[in-house]
Amino acid sequence: MKNMIKHGLAVVDSPYDESGKKRTVVQKLLLGLTPSQYLLQAFRNPFNWILAAIFAVGIPILLGRFVFGLAWATSGSNDYPWGLFLGFGLFAMVPLSSSGFQLGTACEIFGRHDLEPIERLALLNGLLGYFFAVVYLLADLGQPWRLPYPMVVSFGPAAVLFLVAWHVATYLSVQVAEVSTAFFEWIGFPAGKRGVRRITLGLTVSGIILSTLHQGALGALFTYAPGKVHPLWYSSSFQWLHFFVSSLPGGLCMVITVSTIASKFMGWRTDRRFKEALDRCTVTLAKGACMGIATYITIKLIGIAHDNKWSYLDSGWGQWFMLEIIVGFMLPLVLMTYGVHTRKMGVIRLGAFATVFGVVLNRVNTAIITFNWKLPEREIPPWREVVISLTIFAIYIVVYRFILYRLPILYKWRQQEEEVTVTEAVTAPAAGRREASPVAVASYSKMTKLD
Amino acid sequence: MKRRNFLKACLIGGTTIAMGKTNKGWASGSFEGYPESMGVLVDTTRCIGCRSCEAACNKEQKLPEPDTSFDDKSVFEEPRRPTAKAYTVVNQYEKEKPGGPVYRKVQCNHCNEPACLTSCFVNAYTKTKEGAVIYNSKVCVGCRNCMIACPFNVPGYDYESVTNPVIKKCILCYDTRLKVGKPPACVDICPQEALTFGHRADLIKIAHERIRSNPDRYLDHVYGEKEVGGTSWLYLSGTEFDKIGFDPSLSNDPIISNVKDFLGMVPMVLSIWPALFSGIHLLSKHDSGGEGHDTESKEEEP
Amino acid sequence: MSSYKHLIVAALSLGAISVFTPLAAQCAAVPDSVTLNQNGTLYKPFAFNHAKHIQQLKECAGCHHHTTGTLVLDPECARCHQNSSPTAVVSCKGCHSAKPFSPETLAEKHADKQRYHKDKMGLKGAMHQSCIGCHQKEGAGPVGCQECHPRTEAGEAFNSSSRLGAKPAHAKKH
Repeated sequence: MKNMIKHGLAVVDSPYDESGKKRTVVQKLLLGLTPSQYLLQAFRNPFNWILAAIFAVGIPILLGRFVFGLAWATSGSNDYPWGLFLGFGLFAMVPLSSSGFQLGTACEIFGRHDLEPIERLALLNGLLGYFFAVVYLLADLGQPWRLPYPMVVSFGPAAVLFLVAWHVATYLSVQVAEVSTAFFEWIGFPAGKRGVRRITLGLTVSGIILSTLHQGALGALFTYAPGKVHPLWYSSSFQWLHFFVSSLPGGLCMVITVSTIASKFMGWRTDRRFKEALDRCTVTLAKGACMGIATYITIKLIGIAHDNKWSYLDSGWGQWFMLEIIVGFMLPLVLMTYGVHTRKMGVIRLGAFATVFGVVLNRVNTAIITFNWKLPEREIPPWREVVISLTIFAIYIVVYRFILYRLPILYKWRQQEEEVTVTEAVTAPAAGRREASPVAVASYSKMTKLD
Repeated sequence: MKRRNFLKACLIGGTTIAMGKTNKGWASGSFEGYPESMGVLVDTTRCIGCRSCEAACNKEQKLPEPDTSFDDKSVFEEPRRPTAKAYTVVNQYEKEKPGGPVYRKVQCNHCNEPACLTSCFVNAYTKTKEGAVIYNSKVCVGCRNCMIACPFNVPGYDYESVTNPVIKKCILCYDTRLKVGKPPACVDICPQEALTFGHRADLIKIAHERIRSNPDRYLDHVYGEKEVGGTSWLYLSGTEFDKIGFDPSLSNDPIISNVKDFLGMVPMVLSIWPALFSGIHLLSKHDSGGEGHDTESKEEEP
Repeated sequence: MSSYKHLIVAALSLGAISVFTPLAAQCAAVPDSVTLNQNGTLYKPFAFNHAKHIQQLKECAGCHHHTTGTLVLDPECARCHQNSSPTAVVSCKGCHSAKPFSPETLAEKHADKQRYHKDKMGLKGAMHQSCIGCHQKEGAGPVGCQECHPRTEAGEAFNSSSRLGAKPAHAKKH
């Protein structure tokens, strides 16, 4: 792609091409390339070959899971009922997706418009993370076609999982709505975008509520198994807090991670605004993440002190726990604090990677590695389970990349339609929308300004 | 029209609160079990490890043929757990002990406040007034949360089924026997009467009476009388319970009591958050610029 | 309590009594052999050599606790029954119900709040515990199921005996 741009290819970032003709959806999908050009750049990308290799093995096995059943694809263990699909796929993807509600809150509630260049990436990261958490869940459920049952057929309202199901489902739709503004811009449907912008505040507030609750609820799920989760990873009073609070830096650092990768490998797709704002935004995100990590480490220690579990630290499990806390949380805290003070972006980013690792390790530890720690045998996931997990993650990456290549996430859609700006100017005061949602209108009109 | 925005936020909050109310539902109060609940008292000092109960269960519940005959004593080499194909198993412990091996039957203990029931998001489980914990496999989604929650590691999952995998476990022969007052198949077949069927309240008295009249034979503890809020299956033993596969660390509180901290927090978040964050939004609106200070940190305060 | 009545009850309750032999012990006729498990479906009926057990044990109360022979040995029972006379019923079946957990029995037990002997064993339990318990203690006599009563065909099917020798479940674990 880089080469093609060097050779004079214009990037699709507005409804019209250079000659002023309106772009068709197919053109937009092909990134303004001809089909053969498109295929050429796809073949040239070595990363695609890796993906192709994963899919060649993984897709048949993923399909096989639905043909031959769970026993064929997974360990099918009664003692470790939640394997990689949930332990990694659900429990790790969800906290890494808390970015959506955090950046939404910062921009829309706290009025931090300086973070707007990265807001859409954070929202998309949230949406995709949740979506693929659900995909992992569908792969794991014995009867995925019954997933809507808790919503329509039979209610178990006393169960934490019931709350998770409802909230994740609701929140997914909230996130679809939040991200849809970018889609509406891209597809050329300003009315839809305006409609969504109008309810942004409501969406954002409900996003905070739903996120607080289900991030915490994922932790609360393990309070059903007080003796099974190792005491160092368990706290009946604070489990939900541990999960909720660690999800905050997890989400922010995931955005830093993704934006780092995107700016490195997708530089052509980012615009000046994003490039200029990236370092500044990264610093702000890192600050937020540091606050989150500091809070997390504190309540984690309070949790251990509260139930007086210090003696467990002096064991193999304790060392593993220390590794998680030190490499996954304390080290990044030091790195990011140092990076923020000295404005060393590399250090901050390294810290963010470590945080993502820490959060994932924490979830995998809680759900799989230290689960049922009293049983003599540990469960090692069989290869098919690993391959399926990897395949779904690869699909996640492909979808993520597909959207970043196209929708105005990392760049601003250059809206040249004069009429839109006009309608905006006319309708806004008439409907009193300027006052109803000042943020929305302000940012929208900013966006519609010609560059 | 800040008011309009505020009302909107309140409306969203309100509807979610209504949802949250149902979430809390039955999560409070302590339940001592139905007064007429039946139960089974297992006297591990009587069990001779004949595995008749396993065979009886297999036939009564129409389970698939076992991997090996019920006469096969080699299964005792490793402790087993109930699965989708065997709702009950007998394990052997303390082989080298002078008193000979001790056997213990494992199956669903039919808790008074079952963790599986409270963790099920489609409400598939029911605690019947007869004491059995039964389930409706027609709504089972297969999330296996009940397997996570069960403190005794009882529910098994039918991983091998492709089209209709469901949770499977002992139902105290509810459909075929308990409903009409008959004892479960395992109790009926037990040659040693290691299993005593009766009203749970009576069984507790019987158990303590056995301990009183044979203090040398039994430890002074009836496992299941108080554990996790009480179970319909009760156990007597002459060997320390932790040596014959019981978890001595289980609290006397039902499992759901661990979850109450979180469930209690739910309505608070639902009611306070909308007002709090709409308020902050209205405040920060006049705070022109809003730069320099770290707003992120505010989110961490619950 | 006449010994004649004793005998009749014993005879009736034990079912098939093959031979009557007068014996000195209780000045009553006791069976030499008793057919047990008459209505068994999984295990075949079998002959219990009563005479041999009498010879070896000498003490009737060893099995027929508090019904005949030396009275009340158990100190726990002696608390109340120190001076109780032998009961009218000698056979196991006369006291130990073949259906100890039937709804009727349970309801009756549950209703009678003052009842003391709530924990009376059923017939099957009493027999097995008595036989196997003693055989184990003495280190003599059969303790396995089929050493006393061979299985019927139904019993073989019930135990899935044909699968004996197949790989046990735990061997298949990954």
